[in-house]
Amino acid sequence: MTGPPDDETRDRIDDELPDGEPPEDAPDGATGDPVPVADGGFADESAEPHEPRIAFYGGKWASTVPIVFFIFWAIVQSGVLGIGDTNGLVIGALVGTILGMFLVRGDWKAYADTIFEGMTQRVAATAIVAWLWAGMFAETLQVGGFVGGLIFAADALNVGATTFPAAAFVLCGLLATGIGTGYGATVAFVTLFFPAGVLLGANPVLLFAAILSGAVFGDNLAPVSDTTIVSAVTQDADIGGVVASRFKYAILAAVPAFAAYLIMGSVLSGASLEGAAALRESATAPGLVHLISMGVVIATAVAGRHIVEAVSWGLIVAVAFNLAFGLSSVADILVFTTTSPTPAAALPFVRVGETAGVGGSLYSGAIGFFPLIVLTLLIVAMAQIMIRGGGFEAILEFLLDSVATTVRRAELTMVLGTAAINGMITINTAAEIAIAPYIARLGEKFNINGYRRANILDANTSALGYIFPWAGGVLVGYQVMVGPDGLGEQYGPEMVVNPIEVVPYVFHGWFLVIVFLLAAITGFGREYIPDRISEEVSRA
Amino acid sequence: MSRFEKFLAGWSLRSSTPDYEPGDVIEVMVTGAEGDRAIARIGDSTLRIEGAPGDAADTRIRVAVETWDETAHRGTGTYRETVGESAF
Repeated sequence: MTGPPDDETRDRIDDELPDGEPPEDAPDGATGDPVPVADGGFADESAEPHEPRIAFYGGKWASTVPIVFFIFWAIVQSGVLGIGDTNGLVIGALVGTILGMFLVRGDWKAYADTIFEGMTQRVAATAIVAWLWAGMFAETLQVGGFVGGLIFAADALNVGATTFPAAAFVLCGLLATGIGTGYGATVAFVTLFFPAGVLLGANPVLLFAAILSGAVFGDNLAPVSDTTIVSAVTQDADIGGVVASRFKYAILAAVPAFAAYLIMGSVLSGASLEGAAALRESATAPGLVHLISMGVVIATAVAGRHIVEAVSWGLIVAVAFNLAFGLSSVADILVFTTTSPTPAAALPFVRVGETAGVGGSLYSGAIGFFPLIVLTLLIVAMAQIMIRGGGFEAILEFLLDSVATTVRRAELTMVLGTAAINGMITINTAAEIAIAPYIARLGEKFNINGYRRANILDANTSALGYIFPWAGGVLVGYQVMVGPDGLGEQYGPEMVVNPIEVVPYVFHGWFLVIVFLLAAITGFGREYIPDRISEEVSRA
Repeated sequence: MSRFEKFLAGWSLRSSTPDYEPGDVIEVMVTGAEGDRAIARIGDSTLRIEGAPGDAADTRIRVAVETWDETAHRGTGTYRETVGESAF
């Protein structure tokens, strides 16, 4: 996926360089014979999975300009100016992509083709599908009174503002582990648990971070998570064995993260929302029937059904409950509004209003993610430019050549390299697929077992996908807050969290990275290839 | 290995220089060459392998350990068979 065979495009671009010279950063293997090295050195680079197809003025590093510019834009917009507008990030990605084009040597067509190549990657489509389906599902539960039900349950069980973040971390972790998509779990929990917790008095920043931590836990551990599957398959390890072997790392990070949420929950104060007391008093139990709707999704996913099928079944059950128990009207779920009287207005999903349009939970649940979908497509395109231009390879070569001289340093390089690449490429599965060949080759140079390699790869992929403001997991949660009919519109600005504020509080993500840094230094959990052989690689 | 044992595997601080006993038959990835001998670097330990094919680099082979120096963490072994390839 990351290293397609040479094709005529590559030949054409290389041929078009000035004076017919090869790119100045041509791989070692292309300019000389591999050098045998005792004790398994790294001289034979001829099998490197990536070779530049786009030549840039300034060499391979110049191919990182679009994505580095975008990250800089995101930091300035989100961190310095405090503007969390996703559409603004889209413009940043567009400008960065255009800037990169001016650095291309020769024909710009290859650059343009790479944008399309990146946008059509399956990983981007997978994330988009998860967001759309989860958005419709969560919004339908929301109009069905699930938030009120959660507030009622929290009051009944004495789950107060201080313990709510810790509870959200555990429950979101369980949901994400069950359904295998941290993005989907983030959408559901930010739509449903987040407003309930904030209304109860929990700190919004901490609660959002706790939800993201739960998503990290699930993405990392779930057997059906796309990151788990990619990590296992690319490292020649069976999924069952991978999940069992990574449990120790996950739990060592999760326990202190849970404690940290309990402690910080009592330290950080909550937001003061106008009308919160009235909302709490009016909260009733019937919405809790949607625990069954969520249970249907989890059970169907755990039974091995595709996430699209699992969430679709949950959505059907949620709609049925809403209508059967009078939790919402048909129009709350789907409504066509016309401006002129029509006989069709007799239908439960047609209304006459001042402004024509379509609405309801299915509509607002899906449409809220449209800006993020556009941004995602642009980000994977920028990542593909970095891969095709050799910038990705340059980053890893720098790490390999400068630090990976012993097994301890090699593992540290694997941890930091995976974290760095995931810190740059917003969609973590895309980043994982890109770096997987390097992790395999580097690990094999020291006979590091496939389970260990898969665990290093996946843990740092999962963690970094939910920490920084431009990370897909953070953006998708933020979009729930600021999208059309989002939490900000429904409850007020206190229900919107600036993504950069959550960075230090995604405890499970940070602790998972720290656990692996310590594991690389101390040898905790390290296994070598001779220790045990992976069972047959299969999907589950 | 049972499922329970899989959960318990790796709960230890593993040395960066693993040692082996003469007579052990282990599966390793060939990581390089020294003259006409294949080399398998296992962590920071080194196993020199006699009789491996010339194109053994980056293949997974089964080796019978013949000698092992636990001080230098180096040993020699004999190639048995090729059992796999690099993951990439």
